[in-house]
Amino acid sequence: MLALVLRGFLQRKLRVLLTAIAIALGVALTAGTYILTDTINNSFAGIFKTADKNSSVVITPTESLGSNVTAETSPITDAMLERVRQVPGVAKAAGSIFTTGTFLNLHGKRLTTTNAPAFVGSPEPEPFKSFFPVQGRFAATADEVALDQATVERAHLKLGDQIEIAAKAPVKRYTLVGILKFASGQSFGGAGTALLTLAEARRITGEQGRFDQLDVAAASGVSPDQLRDRIRAVLPRTVTVRTGAQQAAKETSNLEENLGFLRTFLLVFAYVALFVGAFIIFNTFSITVAQRTREFGLLRTLGASRRQILRSVIFEGILLGVTGSVLGLLAGIGIAPALDQLFKAFGADLPDSGTVLEARTIVVSLLAGTIVTLLAGLAPALRATRVPPIAALREGVEIPPRAPLTRGRYAVPILLGLVVLRLVISIVQGDGAGTIAIIVAIGLVIMYVRLRQRSRGRHYRVVPALARVVGTLVSWRGITGRLARENAIRQPGRTMVTAAALMIGLALVTFVAVLADGTKASIDKAVSRSFAGDLIVENSQSGGEQGIPTLVAPALRRVPGVASVTPIAFTVGRPHGSSENASITAIEPASFQRAYRIEWKQGSAATLLGLDETGAIATKGYAEKHHLKVGQRVTLLTPSEKHVTLTIRGIATDEARLLANFTITLPLARTQFGVREDALDFVSYTPGVSNAQVQPAVDRLLAASFPQAKSRTAAQFKQDQANQIDTLLTLIYVLLALSVIVSLFGIVNTLILSIYERTRELGMMRAIGTSRKQVRQMIRYESIITALIGGVLGIVVGVLGGVILGLVLSGSGFVLSIPFGTLAILLLVSALAGVIAAQAPARRAARLDMLQALASE
Amino acid sequence: MSETAMNTNDSNTNDPSEIVAASDLRRRYGEGEAAIDALDGVSVSFPKGRFAAIMGPSGSGKSTLMHNLAGLDRPTSGTVTVDGVELTGLDDKRLTQLRRDRIGFIFQTFNLLPVLSAEENILLPLSIAGRKPDQEWLDRLIDTIGIRDRLSHRPAEMSGGQQQRVAVARALVSRPAVVFADEPTGNLDSKSSGDVLALLRQAVDEFDQTVVMVTHDAHAAAFADRLLVLADGRIMHDRESASTEEALDLMKSVG
Repeated sequence: MLALVLRGFLQRKLRVLLTAIAIALGVALTAGTYILTDTINNSFAGIFKTADKNSSVVITPTESLGSNVTAETSPITDAMLERVRQVPGVAKAAGSIFTTGTFLNLHGKRLTTTNAPAFVGSPEPEPFKSFFPVQGRFAATADEVALDQATVERAHLKLGDQIEIAAKAPVKRYTLVGILKFASGQSFGGAGTALLTLAEARRITGEQGRFDQLDVAAASGVSPDQLRDRIRAVLPRTVTVRTGAQQAAKETSNLEENLGFLRTFLLVFAYVALFVGAFIIFNTFSITVAQRTREFGLLRTLGASRRQILRSVIFEGILLGVTGSVLGLLAGIGIAPALDQLFKAFGADLPDSGTVLEARTIVVSLLAGTIVTLLAGLAPALRATRVPPIAALREGVEIPPRAPLTRGRYAVPILLGLVVLRLVISIVQGDGAGTIAIIVAIGLVIMYVRLRQRSRGRHYRVVPALARVVGTLVSWRGITGRLARENAIRQPGRTMVTAAALMIGLALVTFVAVLADGTKASIDKAVSRSFAGDLIVENSQSGGEQGIPTLVAPALRRVPGVASVTPIAFTVGRPHGSSENASITAIEPASFQRAYRIEWKQGSAATLLGLDETGAIATKGYAEKHHLKVGQRVTLLTPSEKHVTLTIRGIATDEARLLANFTITLPLARTQFGVREDALDFVSYTPGVSNAQVQPAVDRLLAASFPQAKSRTAAQFKQDQANQIDTLLTLIYVLLALSVIVSLFGIVNTLILSIYERTRELGMMRAIGTSRKQVRQMIRYESIITALIGGVLGIVVGVLGGVILGLVLSGSGFVLSIPFGTLAILLLVSALAGVIAAQAPARRAARLDMLQALASE
Repeated sequence: MSETAMNTNDSNTNDPSEIVAASDLRRRYGEGEAAIDALDGVSVSFPKGRFAAIMGPSGSGKSTLMHNLAGLDRPTSGTVTVDGVELTGLDDKRLTQLRRDRIGFIFQTFNLLPVLSAEENILLPLSIAGRKPDQEWLDRLIDTIGIRDRLSHRPAEMSGGQQQRVAVARALVSRPAVVFADEPTGNLDSKSSGDVLALLRQAVDEFDQTVVMVTHDAHAAAFADRLLVLADGRIMHDRESASTEEALDLMKSVG
């Protein structure tokens, strides 16, 4: 029996391949995601290990607010280094600077890729050294720099060239005297490293008298653990003491946490593709079971039991699932570098040495593909068991329906809708891969129940209705259009499931497009409403990770035409008794009032002006959630390990969301929270001066002294935000395109199977004079109709989802906006998808051997 | 017409009254030792306005002959002329066009399109050609086949006999030069068979239609003006109309 399945499987190579691809693409993205993230993790782990190789003990600032919050002012001082050196068992101890900065060429262009970090540091002495010059030497004077090889090559520099480095001090020019290589030779991806002398590194990073890290080597006979404990005993809690191995492990695990987001983000798209693939498996199995009714009847006549039939179809499912999964896994190995390139194209250039294929990747990929295939094929398999033996003898025997579950006739589609909505929400919220897998599994179960209901009656009234509407688009093309329309309606369930596969992808694309459009509109509205200044100055590297020097604000104040400049900084604090950080905005009340309109729930301009170092303003949402009232006191733990008690002075509704959970004064942020740079400066002009008079002067100042900063008017700012959203949107489109491609295979599959069923009809049509071209046209129109049904439904579902979410979010200032242009393009894209999917089936149908076709049953 | 212009060969079968003519037709399947000559040098012609029946045992080549005469298959050698057009040299596009405009088909399994109504099925050849029907002719056809009350029904809602009558109308709607019928009564009971055969007879007598029918049913053959009996790829008998009994005897003589 199983041998029979295997033989049948091999005979239907094309169909098997097409169906397997439907599952393989989803598996490929799953495998590719794991391989890519494992590779990146592995590369970083290698870098960290090398960096901490010769350090018995490493001392870093304590991160009591979580690994993502580092004090801007390092607590590690010269005095601390001296104290460490006196601990018995210390052979050698040295401190170094390693922090972010900006490298530019003499024309002000950045030398590192868009979003990759650039590190400014000081060389470590032996034995801690992890960078070595491959050409030249380390910097010896305050005007010299040694740069990593990758950056040098990217920027086409040579020894003796000049570059600029900007950090917390105004930009300065350095002569390149050395080209560096990392000890183990790993690539740092798009990141760059510039090593200056220690004194110069401290000066431009504003860390005079301080270090970012201390490395300690143990004297012989002292174990790293012993040494760590001894050092721990003499140092304050503001620093953390780890052995070299612990430090490397800690850094690696921090990174894995951060990369976890990337992994989940990609896996969501993989699961969507698998979900779409499940529709195709389901459809293909349903059609083939219907087509093989006679074969099953014959097997039953020859004495095969229902169980044997079930087993044979399930076995076929397993074979298909394994085939698809293996293909997917192989493709995944190929996709991983492509994903990497994709992220590079979007500015995320991460280190990636070698390809890491872990056993977990293989297991997860194979299991995911096989289980999805099996689940999707289960319902059709059960249907096959109900083929009566008589089917072998007579044509057109209907498979008797199971007692239909009519009670849930409407409940089930609604449930399915809810599951899809939940899926969409999970994707938006970036839920874990496990959660999403569970949702998809629930969806499959519901789909299966739905099939059992379907056995009676025609539930797909929407298909004929839509096909009729869409069909009129092609019916003017005469009989081919008319027949295409009728053929699309012929098996509404089949057309529906085929279209549904495309619908899912398009619904998500639409949903994301609506959300993105709304977000742009919201930003527009919020900026127009709240921003009262004339210019926004911030770091030109997008993402908001890097700030601007505090020196920028005073410099801007001296530009003619500038009336006032207000610096704004962001930090965090952990409220007493909470395990979550509260976000904090730090401002200068008097100047802030001139550039920004706060909408008060409780309080007034006077509250803002009266804000001192003991007070804070809370935003409405946060205050409500934590039951905070005006006059109440909150104690915050700061990144500098200090406890600050503040009194709530007012509550603001801030739809522009510049104000974080708490707003405090900048002086407080600087002294207690260790804030040493600003996030933005708002510039207000003297009344009467025009932007054309002031912005060029501001830009000249920035280019000359602070080239990492950039000025934007409100309009430019909005445009930049919109561009950033569009970039993200493009990335999401590219990833969702995979699901759309999967659904194309579904259309191809359904068409080929339908053509196979209609072989004799096609033979007759050819005999009575239908040209090959007309046959091709007919198939193409049928494909377009199916695709457009999917497109229309997808757009409707996507817009509905977007509108619902928009309404939910409207309380927090979300402005709903429907991107009609994009929707029109999506409709065109789905029609085009139909055309593409029809290519092969149409050619096949047109090439049909007429005599064989006429003789076929 | 271009088809006429193309017909420049000097075949001696090119008599204008001969609608279909085949000369030394051979059709070989397979190669080498295993090769089978389904048609082994058949020369035959069918004059206008006549009803011919082709009989023969299974494997005699009767279906192959019809397929080659109708431009559904291409002979290994020999020529076929339909309505003055030599088929051998035509490419697929012209051959398709010729089938569409000059040839009508009736099949054993009716082969109506299930998604179209009876009327749409009748009009299908014209729809494919993108032509408007001649209303008068259409009305006459519909009355002749007697399904006016079922024009909007789909094939699944009609009996086999009704479906085949619709198929006959479809074959006649474009007023083809010749109608080929392949076992038109093979799937019908005797009453419906009689109706369909009478209809074909009527088409020949009243509309001056040329009909070539392949059948293994001696009773059906008796409706024709002429009977051809094939065996082993050759014409064994070619005579004027035969009674059912005569046809059966002829079949026995070759079987």
